[in-house]
Amino acid sequence: MTSIAVTPSRRPRRSLSAWTSDQLDLIVTPFFAAILAILLATVWIYSDIDDTTSRILEPSELLRQTYQQLYLAFFSTVLVILVAVPIGIIVTRESVPRIKDSLVSILGLGQAIPAYGLIVLFFVWLGSGPTTVIIALATFALLPVLRNTIVGLERVDRSVIEAGKGMGMTGLQSLTRTELPLAVPVIIAGIRTAAVINVGMASLAFLIGGGGLGETINAGLKLNRPTAIFVGAALVALIALLFDFFGGLAQRYLRPKGV
Amino acid sequence: MDGLRSWFEYLSERSDLVFTALGETMVYVVTVTIAAGLLAVVVGVSTRHRPFSKELSLAIASVFLTIPSLALFTIFIPLVGLGFVPSFIALFLYAILPILRNTTSGLDSVDPSVLESARGMGMTPRQTLWHVQLPLAWPIMLAGIRVSAMLTVGISAIATLVAGGGLGDFIKSGLARLPLPNSLEAIWTGVILSVLLALAIDIALLLLGRFTTPAGIRGKSA
Amino acid sequence: MNETTSAPLEPLIRLEHVTKRYSGVEEPAVRDLTLDVYPGEILVLVGPSGCGKSTTLRLINRMIEPSAGTILYEGEDVTKADPNALRRRIGYVIQQVGLFPHRTIAENVATVPRLLRWPKKRIKERVDELLELVGMDPAIYRDRYPSELSGGQAQRVGVARALGADPDVLLMDEPFGAIDPITRDRLQNEFLRLQGELRKTIVFVTHDIDEAVKMGDRIAILREGSEIAQIDRPEVILTDPADDFVENFLGSGAVLKTLTLRRVRDIELAPMVTLRRPVHRGQALQAMADAGSSTAVLLDDGDHPLRWIDERSLNSAGAIESAGRPITVQVQPEDTLQDALSAMLTTSSGMAVVVDARGRYLGGCTIEGLASLLLHTGNGNGSA
Repeated sequence: MTSIAVTPSRRPRRSLSAWTSDQLDLIVTPFFAAILAILLATVWIYSDIDDTTSRILEPSELLRQTYQQLYLAFFSTVLVILVAVPIGIIVTRESVPRIKDSLVSILGLGQAIPAYGLIVLFFVWLGSGPTTVIIALATFALLPVLRNTIVGLERVDRSVIEAGKGMGMTGLQSLTRTELPLAVPVIIAGIRTAAVINVGMASLAFLIGGGGLGETINAGLKLNRPTAIFVGAALVALIALLFDFFGGLAQRYLRPKGV
Repeated sequence: MDGLRSWFEYLSERSDLVFTALGETMVYVVTVTIAAGLLAVVVGVSTRHRPFSKELSLAIASVFLTIPSLALFTIFIPLVGLGFVPSFIALFLYAILPILRNTTSGLDSVDPSVLESARGMGMTPRQTLWHVQLPLAWPIMLAGIRVSAMLTVGISAIATLVAGGGLGDFIKSGLARLPLPNSLEAIWTGVILSVLLALAIDIALLLLGRFTTPAGIRGKSA
Repeated sequence: MNETTSAPLEPLIRLEHVTKRYSGVEEPAVRDLTLDVYPGEILVLVGPSGCGKSTTLRLINRMIEPSAGTILYEGEDVTKADPNALRRRIGYVIQQVGLFPHRTIAENVATVPRLLRWPKKRIKERVDELLELVGMDPAIYRDRYPSELSGGQAQRVGVARALGADPDVLLMDEPFGAIDPITRDRLQNEFLRLQGELRKTIVFVTHDIDEAVKMGDRIAILREGSEIAQIDRPEVILTDPADDFVENFLGSGAVLKTLTLRRVRDIELAPMVTLRRPVHRGQALQAMADAGSSTAVLLDDGDHPLRWIDERSLNSAGAIESAGRPITVQVQPEDTLQDALSAMLTTSSGMAVVVDARGRYLGGCTIEGLASLLLHTGNGNGSA
């Protein structure tokens, strides 16, 4: 279009308008987390905590539930990644046409399946306990992670792959040396998404005897103790935000140089 | 097929409950989408020339989506009680990001030479926005609204845990009454009707898109 | 600065000591520029990339606001006036055209009239009129969409749209830059023909010196900072560059470029022997002998030239219709001498057939005619 004269004496400027939402995310997320932490502390210290509430909010209880939640989140995330990434890779191979487009559309529709319903159904089929929860969580997170992986692998610059092929790389070599390293940021994003979703959904584990901080929230609801509700909810939110924040840091700093 | 038939029987016996639940969910979807849509579009439009504000609003909206659903539904209860209100607030906050993101990217995607020629012809910024940018960004914005609506249907099932009604009621009652008869049907009702409702809404919005997209740019949605 | 004007007219547009600075950049994009544009002329701003020519253009319709200086339009100071009102009085054509993809061609062309709230009927008539003017049949193109047009067609619509409310001034920023050379040539010719009818005042930006020479009544060669190195009629600049910068910018072959300044219509057309079907060999030979020519042109019923017929080919066997060689190259009055010369060189007879816009025979031009025209340039009367 029209050209603006730029002479060599121009100084480069890092202005405020150069920030992207991904970068701002790394500031906004901890900011909200900090607010939550402050609110939490305030409520903890200053509100009237009666016997029932203090029993619900017994620190050892909370710790146990947090541990359960993290345990469930971790394993379901691992499971999702182990399933989604290979499927994503297979589906994006040139020798497997067509499927990926319809798959992506179907996966989009899967957003509408209520997580709540999914967990309950898995309970019906597989019984109660952490394993069921892990599988249910993994299934729920599968959809977004798989979609991201497919989209991310597709985005890998075709010309880079062409160049590799032109140099005589086999499909496998192309995969391991070119595509995967370039897709690492996408996969990390997928892990981050999965982790955040799973740590959050794990709060529903209490429905089927899986433990987690949802128990605190549920106890608060059942026994009508708003303080307990708030503390439980705030803790869950805080954990999720922290996961997101560290995931964001991983995304930013773990990418291969030059990508 | 037996299972299917028994499910249909179950539904027809409780048709009033089914319709109530569907209605409640629809109320959520409609109110949330309109409210979040208005806010997202206003924010998206007013930040279109201010990159920092735009990115900041996107970052904030995405933080909401990071907060787990059970937490967001329950965290406002000490302030607003149970029922419709906390559910609405949570769903509203969730629904903002898809629409906001598509509004900003839709407005950004307008060909700069089109904007240049509009300005060069003497259109005021408001005229350019109304006659050029918004019509061209609309298909993308509508795609965001569709995502938002589907998200709302899916998450709204949790409302039942805070006495907010909706199709989640079936899932809850089913879970509570396991393994009594009809408990499984209840659960399936909640799940399947959610998916069907989401599908119906998606198709309806798709058709709306067809009708409202200016002819010259059909076939160019996000 | 070298400025000669053909008549003491009042400038329609005047940039007076206009400067444009961008913050953070030391050198101004436009430095203290004073420039006049006279009514009815095409002024071409040409210069290397980054010299500020586009910036200067966009200062005129205040797409870019000046940091200092005054902009006068029809004698009025419009530096601080409402820019939108100003732009509705000026036509603006850009390289990528920028047609609204969601509106029909007709709606696009009608944009400024609608902004000015013309009555519907008048708008419709105007749209049809403009589409005809740029060579696009309204019946076919009114209701089409920009995505259905080729690059050349899109730019025609762009020009039509710029002319929508009949502005006196057109600003054109490399309008034909994104178009393939063949179409570009055709569009340039058509545009010049249009200008002959409409007599608008046009400021035209290009980086292509050949385009500048072809299109401009006056050319301003710009240096960095939009400083005028030389501003004058093309033939003056070509034959008498002001300094090394201008000379380098013109490149070698500047003298040959004068061939692009004159048009075929300036040459005296040589009458040639014309034959119409049906014709006997004997008649043909007789006609050629009478005229003292060894070559004739065979025309069809619509006066379209078909073949070159020469004596020798007549003397060999065969029907008249297949004697000689088919005419493959034709030249129009708007074409430059350069085009004519190329055409003449492709026929071994050193002559080219000149036809009108509908392809009908007008006459022939010869190398002698062209040379005699060039010999009389010097105190030329400028390109049309």
